[in-house]
Formats: sequence, structure tokens, C-alpha cells
Amino acid sequence: MSPGDPRGERGDCGRDAGAYVLGCLDASELEDFRRHLAGCVVCRDEVAALRSVVELLPMTAPQLAVPRALRRRVLAEVRAARREGAPGRARRSRLGPRMPLARGALAGAAAIAAAAAIAIGLVAFLPGSGRARSVIARVAYPSASAVVRLQSGHAELIVRRMPAAPAGDIYEVWLKRGARPPAPTSALFGVTSAGAAAVDVPGDLGGVSEVLVTPERLGGSLRPTRAPVIIARLA
Amino acid sequence: MALVRDGQARAFEIVFDRHAGPAFSLAYRMCGRRGLAEEVVQEAFLSLWRSGARYDRTRGSVRSWVLGVVHNRAIDALRRHVARDARDVPDEGIAERLPAAELTDAEAARREESRAVRGALSALPAEQRQVIELAYFGGFTHSQIAQMLGTPVGTVKGRMRLGLTKLRLSLGDPSRVAT
Repeated sequence: MSPGDPRGERGDCGRDAGAYVLGCLDASELEDFRRHLAGCVVCRDEVAALRSVVELLPMTAPQLAVPRALRRRVLAEVRAARREGAPGRARRSRLGPRMPLARGALAGAAAIAAAAAIAIGLVAFLPGSGRARSVIARVAYPSASAVVRLQSGHAELIVRRMPAAPAGDIYEVWLKRGARPPAPTSALFGVTSAGAAAVDVPGDLGGVSEVLVTPERLGGSLRPTRAPVIIARLA
Repeated sequence: MALVRDGQARAFEIVFDRHAGPAFSLAYRMCGRRGLAEEVVQEAFLSLWRSGARYDRTRGSVRSWVLGVVHNRAIDALRRHVARDARDVPDEGIAERLPAAELTDAEAARREESRAVRGALSALPAEQRQVIELAYFGGFTHSQIAQMLGTPVGTVKGRMRLGLTKLRLSLGDPSRVAT
């Protein structure tokens, strides 16, 4: 337990452990408990033990057969995607040669704000691509680059030399509209060993001012829990 | 899983066939509607494929990882669809409505495991089982549960912790059960 942690003073620092592993703590409590866990080995042990029980809860559901139509749909989509390129790998651009990407990204998420001068909203109309345009994004990692390609109301995020998300994490794409909190998308992705990925950005792009990427726990999150590592300003 | 990571569709198909059953069962239990459950499972598996299948074996079994993704997707879907009434379906009879076409050895083992874990959950005092189910399958926060039940938040948290601890004791070492 860390010095000054009020949980210990109340005598039972693990009272939130059950709610924590069930994923039902409120946001502020969640942050508090995470901070507490970082310094309390007793609670970490309890959480690990209770988490192994929670992982069995899905098996309390009556076990059903998978509808055949569902299997067909999923596997058909995977085969179709496979024809275009392996998961997590950058698909070959339909736009021809790669456009030059911004390299001047910064060494940490917090540094993104300081990089405002670098490639904010740079919009490049690509030669021979009709109305397609690409927005060069700010990236938190010095060697990485990212671009959002827009065409016909569809967006694709292409990253290069991006470090892998930390163990147990995955990158999640968010859509931000004005001052509203970022909305989650179903786009979760990892990168190849070369740090490349091409990710379809799902959802309605109407009113979207920024496309963001944050590292989140596997399975994604409903709200960002970390600072963005990619910010692409569309408007 | 390494083959899935390399983008081999056949490897993904094997992972799907091994884990889609529990995944669909979980999604159906949470959503209570077949269409929504199928949507959740489809989204979950396709996201796993698109993500490059970043599975870390040190963090648990493949099944736990897949079901974790399905669980998160189902909660997301529930919040979008506000289908709380529709999924208030009793457990009994669901399996009969969507029966397995053929009961393979693996399916039989899965159902046996399910019965064992469900039995342990059923043996909990009702108030402990209730808060665990509302949190895990309903996607409610502890504050919402406290409000629904008219029970202090601290009591709800305590029931969750105590119920999970009892489950752990009754199941022995869960890591030996989950595969």
C-alpha cells in the first residue's frame, strides 16, 4: 500500500476487489483502485484470484450451438480480408506510391500537445486519386507515422513504424466530434513486426473532427483510459 | 495462435470453431436476442482477426481472451440497443430453442463444465448471485445495481466480493477448470 493511501486507514483495502474484477466500478473509483493496486500486493493477489473466477462466469450460460449462418458469415469475411492482406498488415495502397508521412512525432503521449506545429491537419490531395485526400496525423512516437485516408465517406488509418501496444493492450480507434467525448469504434488493431497496419475506420464520419487512437486493454474500452498516441484532425 | 497472428485464415477457422460456441452462448445470455448475439459474436471475432490476434499467453487461456472480447462487445451492444427487457429470459429452455445439431465430445465436455460452474453459482446465496449476475451479464455498474435493489453501495460491493470468493473456494483452483 502506498503512503497516504486512505484505504488502509479504513481497515479493508480490498473491499472494491469484487466490483473491480466484475468491471462495474464507477470511473473515479476505478482510477482510485488501480492506483491502490499498484502499491498493494495483497489486493493484487486477491484480484488475480477473483479474476480467475470471473473468467469462468461465461460458462454459467447455457451452452448453445453456433448458428451455421453466423459461422459462414464470419469465415467468409475473414477469407475476403485475407485476399486483401493479412490482419494487422498494411494493405497495398490503391493509391500507388506511398505519400510522404510526417516523421516529426514526439516521444510520449503528453508530448503530442507540444507538437501542434507539426503536421496538424496537413491535407494532401493525392495525385490521380480523384477526391481522395489524406490527413497526416500527429503521432506520439518519434519514428512512427500515421495518415487517415478519406474517400467517399470512408476512412482508412494507415500507420508505419508504430511500436506494438504494451503486452495485454491493443490499439483502439475513436471518433471525436467537437467538444463531445470520443466515441469508441469497433476498430481494434495491432501492428506487424515492422509496425505497419491498415485499419478501416468504421462508423458515420459525419461531424467527426478528429480520429484518435489510444492503447487499451484487449477487447477495447467504451471510453479512453490513456492519452491518444495518434491524433488526426479532419476538420 | 501464432498462425492466426500471421494471417492464416485456416488457423482462425480453428480458433473460431473451438471458441465460438461459448462465445455465442455468452452473447445470447447477455443480449437475450439471437440476432443481437450473432452481431456481437461476429463483431468480436472479426475484431480479433483485424487486430492481428494479439494474444498474450501469459495472461490466460485463449478462451478467456476471446470471451473477454465478446463480453465487452456485448456490453457495448446492450448500451446501444437498450435491450434490458428483451434479455430478461430465464435460462431454462434456451438450449432447447437453439439446440446443437450434433453433440460432439468437445460440446459435451463444454456442457458438462458449464453445468459444474452453474451449479457452483446456483449454490451461492441469492443476494450474492444476483449482484454478480447483474454486474457481469447485465453490464450494470455497482451504483446502478445498488439503486435497483435499494441496497447500499457498500453492501453490493461486499456481496460481489464474498460471492466471488465463495465461488473460488467451491470450484477449487479455477485455472484447472478453464482451458
